[in-house]
Amino acid sequence: MTAMAGLKDLFTRNLRQSGIFVAFVAIVGLFTILTDGVLLSPGNVTNIVLQYSYILILAIGMVIVIIGGHIDLSVGSVVALTGAVSAVVVIQNNGPWWLGVLAGLGVGFLVGIWQGFWVAYVGIPSFIVTLAGMLLFRGMTLQVLGNISLSPFPAEYQRIAGGFLNGFLGGEGIDVFTLVIGAIAVLGYAVSQYRTRLGRLKYQQVVESMPIFITKIVLVGLVGMAFTYQLARSRGLPIVLIILGVLVIAYTIVTTKTVFGRHVYAIGGNLSAAQLSGVKVKRVNFWIFVNMGMLAAVAGVVYSSRSNSAQPAAGNMFELDAIAACFIGGASTTGGVGRVTGAMVGGLIMAVMSNGMQLMGIDQSVQQMVKGLVLLLAVAFDIYNKRRAGAAR
Amino acid sequence: MSENPRVPLLSLRQVSLRFGAVEALVGVDLDVHAHQVVALVGDNGAGKSTLAKVISGVLTPDSGLIEIDGEEQTIPSPSAAHALGIATVFQDLALCGNLDVTSNIFLGRELTDGALLDDGRMEQMARSILRDLTLRIPSVRTPLSELSAGQRQAVAIARTLIGSPRLVVLDEPTAALSVAQTAEVLTYIERLRDLGHGVILISHNMNDVRAVSDRIVVLRHGRNNGSFDADTASYESILAAITGATSQDNEMLKRMAALR
Ligand SMILES: Nc1ncnc2c1ncn2[C@@H]1O[C@H](COP(=O)(O)OP(=O)(O)OP(=O)(O)O)[C@@H](O)[C@H]1O
Ligand SMILES: [Mg+2]
Repeated sequence: MTAMAGLKDLFTRNLRQSGIFVAFVAIVGLFTILTDGVLLSPGNVTNIVLQYSYILILAIGMVIVIIGGHIDLSVGSVVALTGAVSAVVVIQNNGPWWLGVLAGLGVGFLVGIWQGFWVAYVGIPSFIVTLAGMLLFRGMTLQVLGNISLSPFPAEYQRIAGGFLNGFLGGEGIDVFTLVIGAIAVLGYAVSQYRTRLGRLKYQQVVESMPIFITKIVLVGLVGMAFTYQLARSRGLPIVLIILGVLVIAYTIVTTKTVFGRHVYAIGGNLSAAQLSGVKVKRVNFWIFVNMGMLAAVAGVVYSSRSNSAQPAAGNMFELDAIAACFIGGASTTGGVGRVTGAMVGGLIMAVMSNGMQLMGIDQSVQQMVKGLVLLLAVAFDIYNKRRAGAAR
Repeated sequence: MSENPRVPLLSLRQVSLRFGAVEALVGVDLDVHAHQVVALVGDNGAGKSTLAKVISGVLTPDSGLIEIDGEEQTIPSPSAAHALGIATVFQDLALCGNLDVTSNIFLGRELTDGALLDDGRMEQMARSILRDLTLRIPSVRTPLSELSAGQRQAVAIARTLIGSPRLVVLDEPTAALSVAQTAEVLTYIERLRDLGHGVILISHNMNDVRAVSDRIVVLRHGRNNGSFDADTASYESILAAITGATSQDNEMLKRMAALR
C-alpha cells in the first residue's frame, strides 16, 4: 500500500473516529488564529486544563452511562452536593482536607447506589430517575448549605484543583520534571500502540502500513510534547491533570478490556440479547450508576477546590456539557457505541470553543448558541455517516 | 454425570406457563435422552419458543417439574442453564449488532486473564470453532451488524460450542441458511448426537426434522399433541397432530404432504 492510499484508508476506514480528531485540530487552529495565538500560550493552556477538568471527569462516567443506553441528568446537582458536604466537613467543622474528600466521595457513592437501585432493580428509565435526582440533590445541597455559600477552603484542599507539581528536577523557566513526565507519557503511548500492533499482526489482522503508523505516533507525540512544553513554561504539571490522566487510562482499560466494559456495550447494543446470553443486566446497570456517582463526586471535589467554595448553584448545567462531550465524541444516542477517548476529545472541543470565545470577549448568549449548534451538527454528522455506511452495504 | 440410558438427560413434567390470559404452555411433558435428537414441531404460536426459553432459564414456569439427570432443578437464569450444560440458539438470535463476532460468541462467558479480557485466546477459539463448522464469516472482528442473516445464524450456532454443553436447544436454526449451510448445521446436529449430547431441534421444515431427529414431539395450543418415532411415523399423522385436523380434512392433509 502506498503512503497516500494508506492515509486515505486510515481516514475512510474510521471516519467517525478520525473525523473527531480532525475537527479538534481544526477548532484549535481556528481559535489560535482568532485569538492571535493567545489560545496556545502557556498560561492559557494551563488554564484550559484547570477550567474544564471537572467536565472531562464527568464525561468519563457519562460516556459509560450513555454506552449502556442510559442518561444521567443529575450529575450537576451531585457535583454541588458533594462539594457542599465536603465544605461542611472542612470549613464548618475544621476537619482535615482528606476527610472532606472522603465525605464527598462517600456521598457520591450513596447517590450512585440510590439511582442505580431505581434504574436497575425497579426498572424506572434513567431519564426519570436522574431528573428526579437533579431536583432531589439540588434541594439537599440547599439544605446542607443552609442556602449560603461556604468559603474559603484551607490551602491543602485548594491544591487539589489549583496545585502544581514542579521544580523536582530544576530548570530555568521551563520545568524539567513536567517535561520528563510528558516524555514518559508519550513513550508509554508509543509502546502501547506498538504492542497493540504486534498483537494484531500475531492474529493476522489488518494494521496500517509502517510509515503511516510511525507518522501517527510522531504526530501524537509532537502534539503531546508541545502541550507539555507549554505547561512547563507556565506553572508545571497541574495535579488535576494527573488525576484526569489516571482516570482516562483506568477507564479506557475498564471499557475495552474488562468483562464489565464488554457487558456495558452489550446492554446498550441489544438489551434482550445481553439478557438471553447470561449478562447480569441489573447488576451491570447498578454499577454503571454507582460509578457515575463516584466520578461526579470526584468532579464535585475538584470543582469546589477550584472555586474555593461551595455554592448552592454550583454545577448548574454541567450535566449538559458532559452529555454534549460524549455525543460530540462519537457516542450514539441509542447506546452501545462510544469511547472514553472520544468523550475526552469531545469535551476538549467544547473547552477550546468556550475558552476561545471567552478570550475573544464574545457574549455568553452567543457562546451558548454556538455550542448548541456544534452539538447538533456533530450528531447530524454521525447519523449521516451511519446512513451512508448502511447504504454502502 | 449419569450414564444410565434409562434416565433422561432432561425431563419436563406437567410444565405450565401463562402470559396474562394467554396459556402458552399447559401441562407439557418432554423427555430428551443422551444420544438423542428430539424435534419439537407445531403451528405458529404453539408454544415451542416458550418451552425453549423455559429450558434455557429465560422464563420460569408457573408450575411443573424440571429434572436433569433425574434430579429436580430450577433454572432461574441463562447463566444457570449454562452451568447445567444447556446451550441455546434463540429464534430471535440474541446477538449484539455493535459487538464483533468473537465478543458475541463469548458474550456472558468471556475468558479472562486475571482481571482483563483474554481477547487473543477468545479470537483463536472463535476462529477454530467457525472453521470446524465450516461457516463462512469474513473475519471474527467484524461487527455483527455487518453480517448477513445467515452469517448471524452461524454465529448464534457457534455460541453453542463454547463450554461443551450436554444439551443443545436450537430454535429454528436453519431458517435463514442456504441449502449448503443447512446441510452443515444438520451435520453438526448429528455430530452432537454422536458425541452423546442431547439436542432439541425446533423447526417448521419437515425435511430437516425427518433428516436428523429420532423422536418428533408435537405441541398444539401449548399442549402435547402426540409424540412420534421419526423413522416410522407418516407425514400425514404428524401433520394431523400439528394442525389438529381430523380424518375429514384428509384432502388438506394430502395437499400439505405434497407441499413438503
Ligand atoms: N413475552 C410474551 N408475552 C405475551 N405473550 C407471549 C410472549 N411470548 C409468547 N407469547 C404468546 O405465547 C404463545 C406461544 O408463543 P411461542 O413464541 O412460544 O410460539 P412458537 O411455537 O415459538 O411460534 P413460532 O412458530 O411462530 O415461532 C403465543 O400465543 C404468543 O402470543
Ligand atoms: Mg418460536
